[in-house]
Amino acid sequence: MRRAMVASILAVAVAAAAGACGGDSAEKGASGAKEIEVLYKVEPTWPHLEKMLKQAKTQYEAAHKGVTIKLTAVQGGNEVYYTKLALLNRSADSAPDVYLHDTFQVNADVAAGKLAPLDDYLKTWPDWSSQYSEAVQQAAKGPDGKIYGVPISTDTRGLWYNKDVFAKAGIQVPWEPKTWADVLTAARAIKQKVPGVQPFNMYSTKPLGEAATMQGFEMLLYGASGGTLYDETQKKWVAGGKAFTDSLAFINTIYREGLGPKPADAFDPKLGDKVGNWFAAGKLGIGLDGAWASASWKPGTAVKPWPEWTEKMGWTKMPTQNGEAPGAVSMSGGWVMAMSSYAKDKKDAFDFITIATNKENTLLYSLGSGDLAPRKDVAADPQYTAGNPSVKFWTDLASVTHYRPAYEVYPKVSAEVQKAMEAMTTGSKAPDAAAKEYADALPGVVGGPDKVLAGS
Amino acid sequence: MTSATVTSPRPAGSLDRREPDRPVGGALRRLLPLFPALVLLVVFMAGPILWSVYIAFTNETLTGAASVNSRFVGLGNFVKMFGDEDFRNSFLLTFIFVIGSAVIGQNTLGLVIALLQRGRARAVRSVVNGVVIAAWVVPEVVAAACWYSFLAEEGTLNEVLAGLGFSQDWLYSAPMIAIILANVWRGTAFSMLVYSAALSDVPADLLEAASVDGASGWSRLVHITLPLIRRSIMSNLMLITLQTLASFGLIYALTGGGPGTASQTTPLYMYEQAFRYFEIGYGSAMALVMLVIGALFSMVYLRLIKADA
Repeated sequence: MRRAMVASILAVAVAAAAGACGGDSAEKGASGAKEIEVLYKVEPTWPHLEKMLKQAKTQYEAAHKGVTIKLTAVQGGNEVYYTKLALLNRSADSAPDVYLHDTFQVNADVAAGKLAPLDDYLKTWPDWSSQYSEAVQQAAKGPDGKIYGVPISTDTRGLWYNKDVFAKAGIQVPWEPKTWADVLTAARAIKQKVPGVQPFNMYSTKPLGEAATMQGFEMLLYGASGGTLYDETQKKWVAGGKAFTDSLAFINTIYREGLGPKPADAFDPKLGDKVGNWFAAGKLGIGLDGAWASASWKPGTAVKPWPEWTEKMGWTKMPTQNGEAPGAVSMSGGWVMAMSSYAKDKKDAFDFITIATNKENTLLYSLGSGDLAPRKDVAADPQYTAGNPSVKFWTDLASVTHYRPAYEVYPKVSAEVQKAMEAMTTGSKAPDAAAKEYADALPGVVGGPDKVLAGS
Repeated sequence: MTSATVTSPRPAGSLDRREPDRPVGGALRRLLPLFPALVLLVVFMAGPILWSVYIAFTNETLTGAASVNSRFVGLGNFVKMFGDEDFRNSFLLTFIFVIGSAVIGQNTLGLVIALLQRGRARAVRSVVNGVVIAAWVVPEVVAAACWYSFLAEEGTLNEVLAGLGFSQDWLYSAPMIAIILANVWRGTAFSMLVYSAALSDVPADLLEAASVDGASGWSRLVHITLPLIRRSIMSNLMLITLQTLASFGLIYALTGGGPGTASQTTPLYMYEQAFRYFEIGYGSAMALVMLVIGALFSMVYLRLIKADA
């Protein structure tokens, strides 16, 4: 009797353990119905993608009987999302079938074989060649030349400024800075003449993650003469150099002169949300930010709408260091919908991607998020430009934009850049000391001194 | 029935032969009900632990090529760790955090509260106990949120200090003190309970005899009470040291290890390396080092307890 009990307890325990491990896949198989899991991120201030995917789910399920779309949201910012996705992707059982992916993470996942190439499916999808420009198509191109994602957004970066603050500081609008020094001059004027207003904002700390590297540092580096993180011709990472040190020196000036965010704000992962509110409240002069910033003011999509933004806000190009040609700099990245190599029903998963990125859904997302639309038909849609007078400006920045060297090791290089920026933010190191530290750390990060080029 | 015929001769004929193997059979029978639990423990606890020990010696990552083709790198992670300035910084901060918040803060405060409560009215004791334990029962994140709203730039402390003119962002200017205070506030209850129990075992007649002999309050504490509760002190120190060494949630929610790396203790640095930069092998190596440090601490405390006994 007792033995029987023990045996039954054991059986239950083993069954429970087995269930815990593989319940998901067993369930799918047993019911016969197909399920496609879609992973994406959502924040209270950023519901735009969720809206788009819910609409796409309804459309898809109506057209594909017997296939359900399971939407799995990750609550939190980009950094949280990267971690969650990387953990889920470790096992075929937990990996989502389709997911939102930041283009700079694509190569690392291609190297690990986590992503499915889409080329064969794209051939059968007429929109791919008719609606996506060649440049946009390459957003998620792997080192092997294959395409690993369909873009849902792209972006450019530049300067936003509050015209009221500029008026008080006696700076003429429209403002068109030609050099970094012009930017600093304007920020200093604001500090002097408009007390209580933060003159300039940029992202410069690890909690801000890739926003710091890309919106902050690279917008400076790629505008300085010879500035780049990676030498494409020699296929080597560039260690420090004058452009690197000068970029750090700019950040150093911002913080040492009290032109930037207060230290506590600089380390706040929610700084991006604060910036939108500060502009609306007239508490911020200039922001080095992205095309999407208007999404936090646009009526209909913003949490706290500020319809006057079209009048009160100005936007202008981020100048190069000393006005070097082409006179301005921008960085572009973007997000794609990608498919897991573990996906069982790849054709169905791809069909979902095509529906999620069709004209209607891309438009819904672009209107909400303020990101630039990757599709030609969306960009030409009157709704897209209506209510956002800045969109043409941001789209045109594509002519001066740069892309990140999004190789497999890029995220680690980015982390080292953030470390150097953080030293500028706190003032713990001088620009040249931080640049040297970056140069010293680089070989270990990119896999050996033979992959590193001394900066000039 | 067949089995009965095999076993039945035993009680009659061979008591002597049966006696030696009885403990083995008995132990097995007693272990049998534990078996399912043991299997679960091995699968879900020992398994992951062994795996993490293994990956501490590899270049395993969460993404990229190394996530599928990790290779054995021997002591590479450990060599890197001791040359890593950020790790050394985190290690030092962990040490300060453990000494400041556990060994000095929680331990002393817990003892003082327990001593002060001795012989007080029941109502006083319940109120004090209630308040102290309330801090202990709230989840870590809630405790961190409380301290955040107290210390933040627009927080309670600054509102109070505003009149005096030295309001500042405490989490930025004094992050280590902030996390130490928060951890003392939260963890003191445990030490207080341990010491309350220990103090109730100190014989009252001994203390009375001492005071009759003219011993002051201080010398009664130093010469009678503390020596009598020394073993409790050591056990308490061991427990809170290990707990504080691994403390993560409170610091993560309160300062996130920042600003910069100013309050980044080793568990936070470990998390950042493993889950933010996806260097899971390196993170595991650090976890292993922490495990060894924890073991060393406990060995020292255990030795001290034994020496007393």
